[in-house]
Amino acid sequence: MAAIFGGLQSDNYDRRYSDAYLFRRIGAYMSSHKALVALGLLGFLLVGIARAIRPVWISDAVDELVRGGDFLQFVILALTVIAVVEYASNYVRRRFTVIVIGRIVAQMRKDCFAAAIEHDLAFYDEQKSGTVISRVTSDTQEFGDVMLLGSDVISQFLTVIILVVALVSYSLELTAILLLTTPMVVIAALFFRYLARIVTRQGSRAMAVVNDNIQESVAGISVAKNFRQEQMIYGEFSLVNNLSYRVNLRKGFVLSLVFPVMGVLSALALSIIIWFGANAVFAGALTAGAWFLFIQAVDRFWFPFMNLSSFWSQFQQGLSAAERIFALIDAENTVLQRDNLKLKSLAGRIQFEDVAFEYNRGETVLRDFNLDIKPGENVAFVGHTGAGKSSIAKLITRYYEFQAGRILIDGQDIRSLDITAFRSNLGIVPQQPFLFSGSVLDNIRYGNAAVSTDEINEIAMSIGQGEWLDSLPDGLETDVGERGARLSMGQRQLVSLLRVLLQKPSIFILDEATASIDPFTESQIQDAIVLILAQSTSILIAHRLGTVRSADRIIVLREGEIIEEGDHDALMRNGGHYAELYNTYFRHQSLVYVESAKDKFAQAGD
Amino acid sequence: MAAEFVVDSPINSNHRSPLLFILSHILRHPVAAIILLIGAFSNAFLAGIVPGFVGDAFDAILLMNDESLRLVLNSVLLIMASQILRSVLQCMRNFAAEVFAQRFERDIRDELYASLLGKSMSYHDLQPVGEIMARVTNDVREMNLMMNPGINLVLGANMFLIMPALYAPFIHPQLIIVPMIFIVSHLAVQVYFVRRMHPIAQEVRANFGRMNARLAEALEGLEVVKGAATEAAEISRFDGLADRVRDSFIDQGEFEARYLSPVLFGLTVVAALIHAAALYGAGQIGEGDVVAYLVLINIFQFPVFISLFSSSRIASGYASADRILEVINAKTGLDQNPNGYRGRIRGDITFDNVDFSYGDDEHVLSGVSFTVRPGQTVAIVGQTGAGKSTLSKLINRIYDVDSGRILVDGVDLRDWDLQALCSQISIIEQDIFLFSRSVAANIAFGRDEVDMRRIVDSAEAAQAHDFIASFPAGYDTVIGQRGMTLSGGQRQRLALARAFQTDPPILILDDSTSAIDSATEDKIQRAIWSAARGRTTLLITHRLSQIRWADHIVVLRRGRVVAQGAHEELLETSQSYRHIFDRYQDYPASQSAAGD
Repeated sequence: MAAIFGGLQSDNYDRRYSDAYLFRRIGAYMSSHKALVALGLLGFLLVGIARAIRPVWISDAVDELVRGGDFLQFVILALTVIAVVEYASNYVRRRFTVIVIGRIVAQMRKDCFAAAIEHDLAFYDEQKSGTVISRVTSDTQEFGDVMLLGSDVISQFLTVIILVVALVSYSLELTAILLLTTPMVVIAALFFRYLARIVTRQGSRAMAVVNDNIQESVAGISVAKNFRQEQMIYGEFSLVNNLSYRVNLRKGFVLSLVFPVMGVLSALALSIIIWFGANAVFAGALTAGAWFLFIQAVDRFWFPFMNLSSFWSQFQQGLSAAERIFALIDAENTVLQRDNLKLKSLAGRIQFEDVAFEYNRGETVLRDFNLDIKPGENVAFVGHTGAGKSSIAKLITRYYEFQAGRILIDGQDIRSLDITAFRSNLGIVPQQPFLFSGSVLDNIRYGNAAVSTDEINEIAMSIGQGEWLDSLPDGLETDVGERGARLSMGQRQLVSLLRVLLQKPSIFILDEATASIDPFTESQIQDAIVLILAQSTSILIAHRLGTVRSADRIIVLREGEIIEEGDHDALMRNGGHYAELYNTYFRHQSLVYVESAKDKFAQAGD
Repeated sequence: MAAEFVVDSPINSNHRSPLLFILSHILRHPVAAIILLIGAFSNAFLAGIVPGFVGDAFDAILLMNDESLRLVLNSVLLIMASQILRSVLQCMRNFAAEVFAQRFERDIRDELYASLLGKSMSYHDLQPVGEIMARVTNDVREMNLMMNPGINLVLGANMFLIMPALYAPFIHPQLIIVPMIFIVSHLAVQVYFVRRMHPIAQEVRANFGRMNARLAEALEGLEVVKGAATEAAEISRFDGLADRVRDSFIDQGEFEARYLSPVLFGLTVVAALIHAAALYGAGQIGEGDVVAYLVLINIFQFPVFISLFSSSRIASGYASADRILEVINAKTGLDQNPNGYRGRIRGDITFDNVDFSYGDDEHVLSGVSFTVRPGQTVAIVGQTGAGKSTLSKLINRIYDVDSGRILVDGVDLRDWDLQALCSQISIIEQDIFLFSRSVAANIAFGRDEVDMRRIVDSAEAAQAHDFIASFPAGYDTVIGQRGMTLSGGQRQRLALARAFQTDPPILILDDSTSAIDSATEDKIQRAIWSAARGRTTLLITHRLSQIRWADHIVVLRRGRVVAQGAHEELLETSQSYRHIFDRYQDYPASQSAAGD
């Protein structure tokens, strides 16, 4: 389904390339396999000749037979050789075509992936990673399939061309008549393609309705069972299932007509050739064997035309797949470095000087923003959603480009740094901690390949006396599942924190999860954070009271501006924006709230 | 062991093996089967008749007399007539195959769906939704394609395969030899290739899957990749995977290129020519016969061309049938015990030394004992994976204990009538599912009559009325439509409203929803507080305030109860429990700030 609709929507980095450019670029991929392409083409040519020559020699054989000539044995020998040559050259053709296509597709995939991984995170804000993935895999796959299909059709046409040359030498008139029958098949094929597109669309829509229905009831089956509503749900399913049956049956009937209609047309063409051929033989203009050649040629002649007209849209899809692939490769980055200074060691001082930043033109997030974070300092940012907390972190990580001012790291312009070397000094824990499939150990070691298992063990045990490892069935060897799905959000966060702890980064950036975490795991997360804070400059986008309170300095943001800063107690005494934020976001995390909840609800409830 | 839900269905297929399953579905439509068979045979038969007419035309023209052209015209007209008739029969065959294919899909989906509805929650809990969806959509679709084009084409192609052998003896009895040799050798090649191709195709799919999985991970976790500066390592890893896909793709292509039937066909043509020439030389057959025979041999071209494709369809349909049966035949479901105890629940729950494990894995719960008195609220706390959710699933018998026992109102769960037990226990899970219907219908779900007054009352008690009323369409708002999405807290309160409708004596609530602001937290807590009053409530919770106001707290660790009692007792007895509250004691200032 995705393959059908994949090409319908366009993304904003898509561009139009001219067909000539597309072919040139595809040609460039091919040109690195010149020898293989040449061998493949040789196979093409031989197959074409062999397939065209076989009916010619068979008809020669028939003539010889009628005439009683001695030539017959020679023709039979030649036909045997041709059968073997055809098989061998077809093998060569297929083999080298597949190698060339396989290599081109693999190269395209690699180029796509290398481009995709280099693209800015700003790029992925706009593009769902799913659509990018489908370009790397499905579009390249489709392109390869179309190339294979195309090579088959080209091979068939080659046969037809060689055959036409032979046919013309026997009879120009009969060849012309044969050629004139081809528009019939082309028109019929185009008509069926048009019909098929309509009914297929209806069929897919009906299928989508059924699938949605099943998806919902399977996902909600516990509720249905809890309330014993199975019969009602089954009734609804039955309805859409039958509807889809009727729509798809109609689709099937339309598609069932294709081959019978083509069969009648083919018989008509055969009849025409037999009739006109017979007249020509009768008039002495043609030998009986040549007539037989024309009869054999009818099917062979039609086949590529029928294929070309039914696959035409697929060829176009193949080209647009190539276009999408190249668009992904060519999409431009906004974050560009001017230099590649490698800082020996990073102390961790961060300065913002009159920085202006916007995600989209006109939507300013930060304006004339100034901030100086000292090496080793732990700074928490608080503010409502959209106040600019995450933006500051995203600029420090250099995930996004800013529009004015300067950001200095240890006094060096961030734009002049070697980005890879710089980032390896950052420890980042995003709001949705992401794990790669593999074990807990693999994930802790991600980016710290050199660290020994003993060292990891030691650190893991130092957090809450290793209590968190308790709930992992195989301890550090536990398989985390796809994207860490087998671990809870809290556990994933702990694994990410351990990774950072081992990495000993100069700058630690934590975007705290808002997900609910059990109090035991949470207290261990706090333990881990405290350990990291001691060793790095820290940027904390805090959602938990404990984290805010552990910072050296709290910076209160509103609409991209720093309106207050200081420690918790001082800010609370001020009674300003921070106090308001506290009441909105943190009050329920306080011990007082916890202790007083019972009385409060008991009063309110009665 | 009866299923929980049974549909009155006319579909009675055989579930013993994929083959019997497919056959029993075919036999449900005998008329279509017969039409398909007749259509396939007559289609090939009428295709086989053409060579004879061509031969006649050839003979006629070689006569070179006044009759010649009239005889040729005869042949031409016969060809046209036979081919039009053939097309009509082919339509019949295709229609029959299509009816077959679509009914296959509809019926098998129906059967599978009904069987899924009949499975107990213990089955569904272990099956990922995606896995089941793959069965109901892709595998069922494969069954359709197996019928048409799969079986339809294989049947059609094999009919074409036998035609030359059927017609040739009418030209001359000896001429059956070459077609027979071809048929036998082609079938042998066929069996060999289909058998060998299956693992090769699987290899391609597996490599493709691996590449795709890593690609998706690398791009979805791009922030981590960039943050850890591991782009180069990711690229070389991906390149390795892409190369493996390429290699297996090339292997597959190479194997397909070796497909032997085309060369068999080429040699068969030569053999046919030699044989026909010999018979012609011996005066046993005429020129027209030679031509007719050669045209007849050409009929083999169609099955050679189509065979590899259609047999792979049947192979994958067969594999799908196997996977579908796996679901249908999965034995699940607990003993319903319809003659068991069926009183009104007071709300007494006792766990008595309960052990439990999923399958043969290590124990998820071991030696769990505790008692809840009617009307009490119990907080179950512990780390993720400590066994909290599992514990809650034992109370309404989604699973049965391995050893020990659980009593409700002093009666062992296994002695309860399951229906009576479940209808009095309401469970609100962590992931709350709402149907794409109106808010009102979601709240009243499970009740036959819709009483608006009651719905609003329930919503108010669940602190959901305010946000529902703020929607433009109020209670008629359809969930999931036009971006109508609800936050976790809102979904939870709707589920609570749903529970108020049935007023169950026991409520089990997995409250792991996060509240990012204090006002929402207040609302959720209030809703749960009022839901918990007047009934026995088990709270699986992360909220310290709920733990504080619960009557009894059970602390689980690795499936064991490591501490239980009231808050004050636990501060004394449990070190990790104390650690949680210790952290809060560090911040005395927050107390002064919370005086609202």
